[in-house]
Amino acid sequence: MSWAQAALLARGLSRGWGGLCGAALRGAPFSQVAALALRGLHRSAAACSSDLSLVPSPPESQRRPVKVLEPHEELFKQAPGGERDKASFVRAVQCFGQQDVRRRGHVDFIYLALRKMREFGVQRDLAVYNLLLDVFPKEVFRPRNVFQRMFVHYPRQQECGVAVLEQMEQHGVMPDTQTEFLLTQIFGRRSYPMLKLVRMKLWLTRFKNVNPFPVPLHLPPDPVDLAKLGLRHMEPDLSARVTVYQMSLPSDPASPEEPAQPHIVGTPVSSAGIQSPDQQAALARHNPARPIFVEGPFSLWLRDKCVYYHILRADLLPPEERDVEEVPEEWSLFYPMQLDLEYARSAWDDSEFDINEVEEGPIFAMCIAGAHDQATLAKWIQGLQETNPALARIPVVFRLAGSAGELLTSSGMEEPPPPRPEAQEEEEVPQRQQQGQG
Amino acid sequence: MALVQKLLNGTYILRKCPKASAAFCPSLSFRVADYCSSSLQKSGPAAKKGSWLRKSEGGLQGRHQEEVAVDLPSPEEKPEVSFDRAIEDEVKDHFKRLKDEIVNHWIGPEGRPLHEVMMEQAKVVWQFRGKEDLDKWVVTSDKTIGGRSEVFLKMGKNNQSALLYGTLSSEAPQDGESGRSGYCAMISRIPRGFFERKKTYDWSQFNTLYLRVRGDGRPWMVNIREDTDLIQRKNQMYSYFMFTRGGPYWQNIKIPFSKFFFSNQGRVRDVQHQLLLDKISSIGFTLADKVDGPFFLEIDFIGVFTDPAHTEEFAYENSPELSPRLFK
Repeated sequence: MSWAQAALLARGLSRGWGGLCGAALRGAPFSQVAALALRGLHRSAAACSSDLSLVPSPPESQRRPVKVLEPHEELFKQAPGGERDKASFVRAVQCFGQQDVRRRGHVDFIYLALRKMREFGVQRDLAVYNLLLDVFPKEVFRPRNVFQRMFVHYPRQQECGVAVLEQMEQHGVMPDTQTEFLLTQIFGRRSYPMLKLVRMKLWLTRFKNVNPFPVPLHLPPDPVDLAKLGLRHMEPDLSARVTVYQMSLPSDPASPEEPAQPHIVGTPVSSAGIQSPDQQAALARHNPARPIFVEGPFSLWLRDKCVYYHILRADLLPPEERDVEEVPEEWSLFYPMQLDLEYARSAWDDSEFDINEVEEGPIFAMCIAGAHDQATLAKWIQGLQETNPALARIPVVFRLAGSAGELLTSSGMEEPPPPRPEAQEEEEVPQRQQQGQG
Repeated sequence: MALVQKLLNGTYILRKCPKASAAFCPSLSFRVADYCSSSLQKSGPAAKKGSWLRKSEGGLQGRHQEEVAVDLPSPEEKPEVSFDRAIEDEVKDHFKRLKDEIVNHWIGPEGRPLHEVMMEQAKVVWQFRGKEDLDKWVVTSDKTIGGRSEVFLKMGKNNQSALLYGTLSSEAPQDGESGRSGYCAMISRIPRGFFERKKTYDWSQFNTLYLRVRGDGRPWMVNIREDTDLIQRKNQMYSYFMFTRGGPYWQNIKIPFSKFFFSNQGRVRDVQHQLLLDKISSIGFTLADKVDGPFFLEIDFIGVFTDPAHTEEFAYENSPELSPRLFK
């Protein structure tokens, strides 16, 4: 548009349009000046009068809200048939760079590009940030004498540079040597963006590995893999085994409980379960007279994805029914089976907290299921029975909440209450009836 | 109560609110919203006799600074407000506190015998076994700056734990100055003594913070604030991350005090120094991980203990590039 602007300016200057020149001198952005010039053109073509006061015409449509595009927003417009990805973003940025070697309006363009990054999915891409920093004209904003160094030289541009780095920091992108070189070229070594870069290099490296339970940056797209990752994330016992249970396709017309299938017809719902050997042993020891409960769904957040899991647990035994652990006899003479070493230094070494910790019943297994209804979970229980034959004799009670409802269990976890209250379903499905055994 | 406070403290409460909703992530730049804590609310005899201050519905929600004053009693309740009686009760209560403080001073620090305090290696500071334990905490969210997150605190199952739950929404408020939003926080109230004097915790013998929590996998931030009477200290705090694992198992999180980094006005500062434990005023948990959605955190208790294996004094060294004046 620069040629059009130049032509209009020339015309304006030659005809002495005071309003136009006044607007240009005041520093109004070029689009406004161009609009004024266009309106002036139309009117002078009709009347050919030399009125110096340009009264801007009132806006035409006041009813529907007109979305005014920002100055360079049309560069980011989606081409028909094209999609918003890194290539189109890079093309838009390069297009701006090629339009004008002086990069007029680059600060606004960079702010706009920072806002648009999320739509194009490039907010974690270092190369794109470097490209964006490349938009700044080089060597212009470096202070050249002591007075420029004393005051913040080109403060708006420095703020813009800091904003780019701040967005990088927000998304956890670590700057590299090219970023540093670009910033040195643009702003000089003793500028605010450089200072921010030094701080980022320090603090981002300090906090890079601070999470003791790290979750990978790119989560697996497959829900079963995500479920396995989630289960491993939750279970502290490393010897626990993850099993994937595949549901069968709903192709059998004879079974009457088909209409409750929660998934798209033809897609099997699979769930993944996890159980450690200690939990297996505890389940084997469990008294069949006491029921065990399937509770859920509880939410687990992995970065920005939420998965829901169910647990199989039993209530806490009242104190009188708790067995005393028997000391097994020593079956190995090479090393002792039980060591009871007192590591405390002396009688006053007491680092126990003076509080009774919350006691809850044992948890036997966990699963992340494709659907939160009883049929899928019943399949999980059936799958568990293969490794825990004792489960066949124990009654299982399903205590499922709605989509994210509050549980009314006597012990256990709680869900955040949903906006609409859901009734709690509770069904007793004694396993012996399901098995139909004699 | 409000009247007494205003008489004594004047505009103290209004200006220097002890519970600033400090910016959660140290590197964010929007303004720190100050709001007054609900330290104006009080449990005890004054409240039972229908004092002027009512706990509102979300009674633990901190308010914005403008709404500091007494809230109106609901029309259903007819409080028997007797001005003289209320004042009498307040004064009696405060003198009782004074007496306790003087007597406790003779027994030992914080009213416990000296040998017990000195030998102590693990101390439970906050536990959640009843409603009165919840009163020691305030919850805030970015509603104070116009955001949309919600947070609530209630007792968990069997009154054995506290559940902090809500929804986080990172939609920025359209007020022209906030670029980002989305945080929720739970902050402990500063314990008050005689005539609302602030009392501080002295954890100088301990070196690790112990939290027994059960979360949903979200990363939280633990913030410790020191004595906030000075204006310069109003927005300073020491923070560290608390990563919850998620899952049905209780998680014991131990954070040594040497790991806390210093931040002022929501920004991590170049000059880092270690957290001094002799005048701690409050602790807070903040969630601001930029992910929208519901969250919950169940807390069993919070304690401090001495970890004899931990010998680090401070985890962060100052660099001459960023803070050259320290190295002159």
